[in-house]
Amino acid sequence: MRRRVVPPPPAEAPPVSNTRLAMIVLITGESMLFAGLIGMYLVFRLSARAWPPADLPRLPLGLTTLNTVVLLASAVPVARALGAIRRGESGSVARQVELTAVLGAVFLAVQGAEWTRLVRHGLTLGSGTYGASFYVLIGCHALHVLAAVTWLSIVALLARRGVYTRARHAALEMCAIYWYFVCGLWAVLFPLVYLY
Amino acid sequence: MIDPKRTGLVLALVVVWAATRALAQSCAMCGSSFGVDDPVQRAFSWSILFLMAAPYTLFGAVAGWLFYVHRRAGRRASVVELAWRRARVPAAEPGGQPT
Repeated sequence: MRRRVVPPPPAEAPPVSNTRLAMIVLITGESMLFAGLIGMYLVFRLSARAWPPADLPRLPLGLTTLNTVVLLASAVPVARALGAIRRGESGSVARQVELTAVLGAVFLAVQGAEWTRLVRHGLTLGSGTYGASFYVLIGCHALHVLAAVTWLSIVALLARRGVYTRARHAALEMCAIYWYFVCGLWAVLFPLVYLY
Repeated sequence: MIDPKRTGLVLALVVVWAATRALAQSCAMCGSSFGVDDPVQRAFSWSILFLMAAPYTLFGAVAGWLFYVHRRAGRRASVVELAWRRARVPAAEPGGQPT
């Protein structure tokens, strides 16, 4: 009887890649940084008799809510880009990543405009614990968004050159994970600082 | 008749209730440095509780996810291995599958 030779099963890749593991370590460290800052904010917020103090301006809630929608919506195109590259459809990847970077830049621009207005109204880093905690906490997040937008721009440039394929797209995946983290972090910070 | 389980639960609840005030202070410093209803004490308590919970929550979430991913990969590998073993055995032999 003739036996067909069955090839052995392919060698399994590790369940969690090294790049993904490195990203988890980075995000865990970043989360602890923000946990410390949130702890600082809680001390100032809960120990204050009046928040915000009577002589200082209130934070612009309407515009920031719209800005929050923009930031959270920016996670959709990057998720689509990741899905497309996993299916091997690399045509729309660069465009989707560029769209995410543009939405992130819009978020930063609106934040910058808000801050300029607040500074003009007298809310500065030296305006007691209210101003200091607001600028440190939200400013730290804005720096992370800036870093992520820069990263997205580089990834979009590389995607335009056709660097990423179905088998090789770890950089795009790591960038997407970092962007999810930045968006998720804002989903915690916005209610804490603007609504509570 | 006294139910020992229910009695134990009630006793545990009484002990926890009696200790809630001490537990809520988070640390001896907060308990002794501020007044009874001082907002600063409350603020420090919540902040300490939050910062105490954060690393455990993060570590637990990451460890749980890694455990889940490894377990799922192990199951998948064993299924592939089993399919390969069966495919190697000719159909005529007992327990064999046609290739």
